[in-house]
Amino acid sequence: MAKAVKAAAKAVKSPHADTVRKAVAAPMLEIPEPKLTWMNKSRQWGVRVKPGKKGLTLGSLNVGIYGEIPMDWPDQTRNPRGAIGRKGMPPVGYMLRSKAEVWADSAADLYEEAIQRRWAPATDVPWNTVKPLPDDLERAVCQVSTELSQYANVEIEVISAWQHQMVYGYHEVKQYLATAGFDAARHYEVFRKRALINGGGLGLEGAGQVNRMILESRGGWTEAVVYLVLVRGLFVQTILRYLEQYAYNEAERFIYRNVMQDKARLLTYGLDHLKFAIAHNEDQKQIIATLLAIGDGLFIRDFNDPVLREALAIIFGGSIDGARGAGMDVYHDMMRAYISTHLEYCQWLDVPRRVPEPLEQYAPQD
Amino acid sequence: MSEAEKLGPDYELDLGWMDQTGPWDTRAEESRNGLTLADIQVGEYGRVPDESDNQTGRPRGAAPRSGSYRIGNYAVRTKSEIWLDNASFLYEEALQRQWSSATDVPWHTIEPLPDDIEQAQCQMATFLTEVEFVAGDVPARWVSQTTPDFFEARQLLTAQVMDESRHMDVFRKRAMANGGGLMAATGATSGFVGSIDLSRDFTEMSARLHISGEGAVLTIFRMGELMAYNDAEKAMYRLCAQDEARHVAYGVMHMRYMAETAPERHEEINCYLDEAEAGILSGSANPAGQAPIVSEPLAILLGGGIAKFDEGFKKLVALRRRQIQEYKKRVVSAGFGARFENGRSRINEILEQAAAA
Ligand SMILES: [Fe+2]
Ligand SMILES: [Fe+2]
Repeated sequence: MAKAVKAAAKAVKSPHADTVRKAVAAPMLEIPEPKLTWMNKSRQWGVRVKPGKKGLTLGSLNVGIYGEIPMDWPDQTRNPRGAIGRKGMPPVGYMLRSKAEVWADSAADLYEEAIQRRWAPATDVPWNTVKPLPDDLERAVCQVSTELSQYANVEIEVISAWQHQMVYGYHEVKQYLATAGFDAARHYEVFRKRALINGGGLGLEGAGQVNRMILESRGGWTEAVVYLVLVRGLFVQTILRYLEQYAYNEAERFIYRNVMQDKARLLTYGLDHLKFAIAHNEDQKQIIATLLAIGDGLFIRDFNDPVLREALAIIFGGSIDGARGAGMDVYHDMMRAYISTHLEYCQWLDVPRRVPEPLEQYAPQD
Repeated sequence: MSEAEKLGPDYELDLGWMDQTGPWDTRAEESRNGLTLADIQVGEYGRVPDESDNQTGRPRGAAPRSGSYRIGNYAVRTKSEIWLDNASFLYEEALQRQWSSATDVPWHTIEPLPDDIEQAQCQMATFLTEVEFVAGDVPARWVSQTTPDFFEARQLLTAQVMDESRHMDVFRKRAMANGGGLMAATGATSGFVGSIDLSRDFTEMSARLHISGEGAVLTIFRMGELMAYNDAEKAMYRLCAQDEARHVAYGVMHMRYMAETAPERHEEINCYLDEAEAGILSGSANPAGQAPIVSEPLAILLGGGIAKFDEGFKKLVALRRRQIQEYKKRVVSAGFGARFENGRSRINEILEQAAAA
């Protein structure tokens, strides 16, 4: 726990308390008779959830009626699940009101985990381990950092665009997504910091077709998750896994490792949600298959763009020369890892999938 | 045989991208607080445009691609509409001061309370869990609509969404930790004109959310010890107050930026403040306001039970005074203090009427 948090958690006397005590001597105050109409109004009283090994967690609150999570939540106010709603309140305007559209059983746990595993790019990354690199390597690292920062930007925009459209009844998901948006903001920041610290700068903006398809999947959150998680999320996770192995200093290793840890939560939520959506919507599986087939075209356009591939190959190969041999071998190996994991996930979801031409070389042979 | 030999032309490199970069030779340096956002405001990378034409989502300062699609569709592209000068500092503070409602609140210090107190505490917790996330939903929407060229402000809003998520959660936890439960929702933040949700301008929203709404809540959280019956509740209010102070600071600093850079909007902003002041005690979003569903539990908590309701109510009125004083200070600090001098603000009148009601 950070020092400031520790201090705040400790009981000390508020400097304002005396002001209030003095002001209480106010004369001539008309004090209303309390109506107490709110008293004894509870759908379930007598609840006593105790902290467990991991403290008092969000998921542990789901006891009795508070754990009843209906498939539809038509209420468009901020009535907390399990409280008594107030009639006659105009809707806030939530677009996503059914459980199948947002839910994942893991959301509550992922929320708590995200909070426990928080880190700060400013102070947790050992920046002093970044030492001058040969020009070709620095350019490659900066290019990859630029693209990863831009990927994080898309994640921030997409998550924040959907999160506020979800009804209150599924608060666990809203809360988990708050952590995911905050994670993405941190990723946006940490890759920018890496690009600007070592005599380089930002590179060329990304090719952007996958960015486009994530942002343009406006039909529903589930559809956005298909692209955000099953395609982009897994792709980034694979890149990070390889980058960690070929990092040039402890700072980079720390960054890749921690971003990967954050992204793993998003992958878990995403897969969990897609599974839930498929289980509760007859047509969902086919919709996902269609989206993936269409998405292939855009993924391939990004794939055909040489910039990211070459920058990664230089990092993996240690230089431009190295990129032409071993570096590119590692790149192709990375693509194989991505495609095969992607196919495994699709299989787990039971979504029919055929890998198109230029990516076929990466699919497992059997 | 290496794959290079197998695949041949695939292994030829174009490398044209290597010379297409933002300003090169940049060397940001760590400061006392690590490598902060402020430390990477180096050269061109620190320049924030007054108007942003970035519709492709590229990181500020990166080299653009001429063929990029305009996928951004950002509604907020004018700096003054969302900017504040110390966003970087507040964001870094937010990162340093994250806390966990599961493990940083000493829940084991909660002991059974008299029924009237527990009910008041649970009603207050229900209200807070209900309203806290309006400050998550609404900033999230603005995050999604703001150009990344203003990312420092956007980072801070993202941190606010995170903070509010924890606030929504800590009060739900409190309601269920001590033999009580959730009680009645108030509908305080529903979809009516003039609500935080429906504002179509960021500054209007911020005046209502950051300055009046969260400002009022901040005063109450800071006084948390007066309504807390154990260390868990004290910690809960104190930790929330720390976060809330940053959210209020956003509003104040943003409004100050507006005061300095957008004189053509002064009158309009004064109108938002008129509305905010009119609702500060009559609307049910302020737990020290006039709605009995929130003011009664608060008075019971402040007084120490129903039997001491009168004493509690007196404290509540003192708390309202404190809220108004702090509100005025913030508006003065934001550069709109003239309204308290020239007779435009009716805030004192509103306060006296509320006390007499
Ligand atoms: Fe809050
Ligand atoms: Fe807040």
